[in-house]
Amino acid sequence: MSKMLDARGLACPAPVLMTKEAVEKDNLNVVEVIVDNEAASENVSRFLGSQHFSVTTAQEGEDFKISARRQGDRPETIREPEISPQAATDRKQKIMVMIATDRLGFGDDELGKKLIISFIKTLKEMGDELWRLVLVNNGVKLTVDGSPVLEDLVAYAKEGLTILVCGTCLTHFGLLEAKKVGETTNMLDIVTAMQLADKVINI
Amino acid sequence: MGLGTADDAGVYQISEDLALIQTVDFFTPIVDDPFDFGRIAVANALSDVYAMGGIPKTAMNLVAYPMQKLGKDVLRAVLAGGIEKLKEAETVLIGGHSIEDDEFKYGLSVTGFVHPKQIYTNKGLHPGDCLILTKPLGTGIINTAIKGGLASSETIVKVTELMVELNKTTSGVLGSFPVTACTDVTGFGLLGHLAEMVVDTDISVTIESGTVPVLPEALEFAAMGFVPAGAHNNRSFRQDMVNLAADVSPIMRDVLFDPQTSGGLLIGCPEKYTFELKNRLIAEGVENTAIIGKVTDIGKEMIYVV
Repeated sequence: MSKMLDARGLACPAPVLMTKEAVEKDNLNVVEVIVDNEAASENVSRFLGSQHFSVTTAQEGEDFKISARRQGDRPETIREPEISPQAATDRKQKIMVMIATDRLGFGDDELGKKLIISFIKTLKEMGDELWRLVLVNNGVKLTVDGSPVLEDLVAYAKEGLTILVCGTCLTHFGLLEAKKVGETTNMLDIVTAMQLADKVINI
Repeated sequence: MGLGTADDAGVYQISEDLALIQTVDFFTPIVDDPFDFGRIAVANALSDVYAMGGIPKTAMNLVAYPMQKLGKDVLRAVLAGGIEKLKEAETVLIGGHSIEDDEFKYGLSVTGFVHPKQIYTNKGLHPGDCLILTKPLGTGIINTAIKGGLASSETIVKVTELMVELNKTTSGVLGSFPVTACTDVTGFGLLGHLAEMVVDTDISVTIESGTVPVLPEALEFAAMGFVPAGAHNNRSFRQDMVNLAADVSPIMRDVLFDPQTSGGLLIGCPEKYTFELKNRLIAEGVENTAIIGKVTDIGKEMIYVV
């Protein structure tokens, strides 16, 4: 569960108490708190840190926005792949591949389209270490009807690979309904996946 | 004592060997128990007189009170707590004034005697002096945690006992030592009051943060974000004068700026008397006394925290 708290206009310790109550009562894993002074920002960050949240703070005009996620928590849309006891003892790295295009490289577009087909098909050579495939911008076009790699992506998904498709991008291109593979996702999930991955490859 | 040097109280010389010290202090309740609040308010108000080397003689109550809301009994308990402490200080309550107010406030105006040649001020530190602090820091942070309902009853008792402790014994011991400067640590926090001691002088001080007495619960609550806004204000006001070593944690830094209620005395004394003074204070029961730093002429108007 996540929640946004507005603690502007409150003096210490009120912002911390407000955060504490919300986190404990609703058992929050993700929380955002907006405060309007540095003292409150430090105190709220410190409190969330002490409760095992990873915390980032950003100044927005006069206000401070504190974003926190409970450590060890995973966004609901991202599921850990099943790890066999064998795999657990033999630790593999988690590779995230982010594809932001429907053609590989610059120069000749026809060549680029052929190369991305080849790239997607060859990705399986990464084996179990391929952990997340994230598609953004023109990359989302690979997930719709008529995509030359749709069958390959469906096969990956069946084998258990988590494919995340940027919802904003699908909406932008009017392809929300046309998507045939992967989970529609948001930027928070993408960023979290990046943070959890051992290696992120951008295409 | 002009306003410029931000001393603890006003002084009026009556004759060659007598001067009056006058001070006034009041605040809103900081603990739930009314009797304790009365005791704390008196210890806090008398502290300014002790910090200047004086002996408090008379006091007058200042009360702003919501009679409808709180009733007579609470006020009676507060005043009884105050009187108990005034007795301990051998100070006579000679009157007072009260008004109806939505928010409860209690404090006192205090008059004390001092020899004009034996007044301690917050200016007068010399290179080579050592600094002594007589009570542990952290009451502001713990009071913030009490407001948040986080402090255990043991912690509340402990911090209350600390706040009701008069600086009387300390002040008495100081009389037989060549004290160069003295102040009580209150709202500006340790570093804020130290800043007043070094601003507009040619000296600097070095504070050994590891030797500063601190309530362990204060470190715990500061790490959880229960730092009062006052500590942040104190820091932003004086941060240009304070140089913190890289290994001083932000939590310790906040404790050093934590506003204290009825804090201890911060005393400057030539190094060769320092150990004797410290040992005497501890022997007289001021058991948290510690040597926390040194005055230097390396740079001026600076506080180095290492």
